[in-house]
Amino acid sequence: MVTRLWAETAVALFTLAYGLVIVRGATEFGIGWDASGPEPGAFPFYTGLLVAAASLGTLVVTWSKRLRADRAISAVILDGEGLRRVVSFFLPILGFVLLCAALGMYVATIAYLFFAMRVQGGFGWLASLATSFGAALTFYIVIERIFLIQLMKGPIEALFGL
Amino acid sequence: MDNFASLMHGFSVALTFHHVALMMGGVLLGILVGVLPGLGAPNGVSLLLPLTFSMDPVSAIILLTSLYWGALFGGSTTSIIFNIPGEPSSVATTFDGHPMAKQGRATEALSLAFLSAGFGALAGVLLITALSGWVAKFALRFSSPEFFAVYFITFASFIGLGGSSAFKSIVAMGVGFTLASIGMDSVSGNIRLTYEFDVLLGGVSFLIAVIGLFGIGELLLTMEDGLRFDGVAAKVRLGDVLRTAATLPRYWVALLRSSAIGIWMGITPGGPTAASFMSYAMAKRSSRNPEKFGKGEPEGVISPETADHAAGSAAMLPMLALGIPGSATAAVMMGGLMIWGLNPGPMLFTERPDFVWGLIASMYLGNVVAVVVVLATVPLFASILRIPFSIIGPLIVVICFIGAYTVAGKPFDIWLALAFGVVGYAFKKLDYPIAPMILAMVIGDKAEDAFRQSMIFSQGSLSIFWSNSLVTSLMALGLLLLLLHPLQLAWRGARRLTAAHATRG
Repeated sequence: MVTRLWAETAVALFTLAYGLVIVRGATEFGIGWDASGPEPGAFPFYTGLLVAAASLGTLVVTWSKRLRADRAISAVILDGEGLRRVVSFFLPILGFVLLCAALGMYVATIAYLFFAMRVQGGFGWLASLATSFGAALTFYIVIERIFLIQLMKGPIEALFGL
Repeated sequence: MDNFASLMHGFSVALTFHHVALMMGGVLLGILVGVLPGLGAPNGVSLLLPLTFSMDPVSAIILLTSLYWGALFGGSTTSIIFNIPGEPSSVATTFDGHPMAKQGRATEALSLAFLSAGFGALAGVLLITALSGWVAKFALRFSSPEFFAVYFITFASFIGLGGSSAFKSIVAMGVGFTLASIGMDSVSGNIRLTYEFDVLLGGVSFLIAVIGLFGIGELLLTMEDGLRFDGVAAKVRLGDVLRTAATLPRYWVALLRSSAIGIWMGITPGGPTAASFMSYAMAKRSSRNPEKFGKGEPEGVISPETADHAAGSAAMLPMLALGIPGSATAAVMMGGLMIWGLNPGPMLFTERPDFVWGLIASMYLGNVVAVVVVLATVPLFASILRIPFSIIGPLIVVICFIGAYTVAGKPFDIWLALAFGVVGYAFKKLDYPIAPMILAMVIGDKAEDAFRQSMIFSQGSLSIFWSNSLVTSLMALGLLLLLLHPLQLAWRGARRLTAAHATRG
């Protein structure tokens, strides 16, 4: 259960931190004026500052609504069911990206699509296998053969001499 | 008649077999992208862009713009048949389009939507034909301070005219600007803001951001809602289409009004989504029977559709003539132009007239092709949506990540896309506007350069932005837009005060 209050607060704190990190980074490159005009850090410094200030603004607006007992701000914007659905969609994606990095994109595509169809979608073995291998083959033909762009590959593709 | 001759030349560029075939292909891909939730027009263009690096720019832009038209049409199809907007800009079409479909008037709703959309798009392109040369000529007088003032107007209008909180618009925009400044600084040649991570040396590509924010983020949101397609059977018969087309002139007021709204919102960076909502609201307010809206009123389909497409095509005008995109999709295309080595802006008209006019001519043809193709393929694309989402969703995920990798062949980019996906989900959930962020990423460097060059001209004095009448009026317009909300509030407050006085006195 996530209420708007806490979601707004978390995101605003995140953008506040981001703005400050940019401000900190920009100071390394000079934020003033030199012989050739404004120094490289000046523009990021001020935009970073703007992000931080606007994030504070969102925090103030959010919490002043809370103090005024505005009902919209304490509404639940993500309930248990929604959260479960998002997480069960997101975790396999995370796994897919990890597999891409470890074993290359083709293996990851097959494994991910198979998992999503067979385990999460409840499809049969044959349909799941056919779709996942078919998709990987289609990507190979379209991306590598027609458009001549190499995708990420790992040890298993190497075994097949790809 | 200068423009007319150029346009005729443009048609000779666009009307080759190769280019018409590209248009058909682009439109078909676009409809697919528009129909599938999670794959929108900006995302579709981003995914296709890396595949066009080896094409010549004219063919590439024809392919990408056709994809855009197709996506706009595809978004309306799902709105009407499934009550699920395939694109944010077709949300307003669901209000009356789906009720019409449920009453068994699906063909009528679809035909009205596509034909009025075609009308809106043509209105936008006519405007581009008439004005772009003139705007570009005018813009040739611009130097850095004026360009910075125009960028300022663009971002001020997001804050002033955007529906979200001003703080959130500023955050989104600022994040875009700072992301754009990571990597090589184009003025001094310094490497900045990489925090000693080598993977950041090349900067953060806006294409990765679009794929993550619009693709993965949108999918997460779709999954949360627990997507279900409850479609209305749709068969499109030629006779019904023609009969509907014959009723279209009856709605000429709605068509003209919506085109005007769309064109205005497309040129200013309000974008197609805002245009369609505004047009729907105006239609309802000025209608003689507003109570029919929401229950299957044809004008409720015509108005948002016309405005949506008028805005979509009109957004190309500031992109071509000034180098400022009017929508997220136009921003991605403009990024593409820069990657192909073209310099969007007034010089493009003199340097590459074949490109500019070929593109404008292709916009006429592309929209006509799109109307025909979309009418012919409604049943096909409606059947695609009967495939369960547990297959389509993961397939779109894979396409997004493969697309992210093909941008530059960097493994780091797929992590970045994942991170942008999470950010996109959170931002969308909390109504942070995403279009200004993409715009800031694409034109961030140019805006910064314009600012720094102005500062060099003036030796550090901000007064250069008030140094002549042109730049002063541009800056004043920007400030006015920026302060639109506070001014409106003050105006309303003042009126309430005087009203209170009046009743008391």
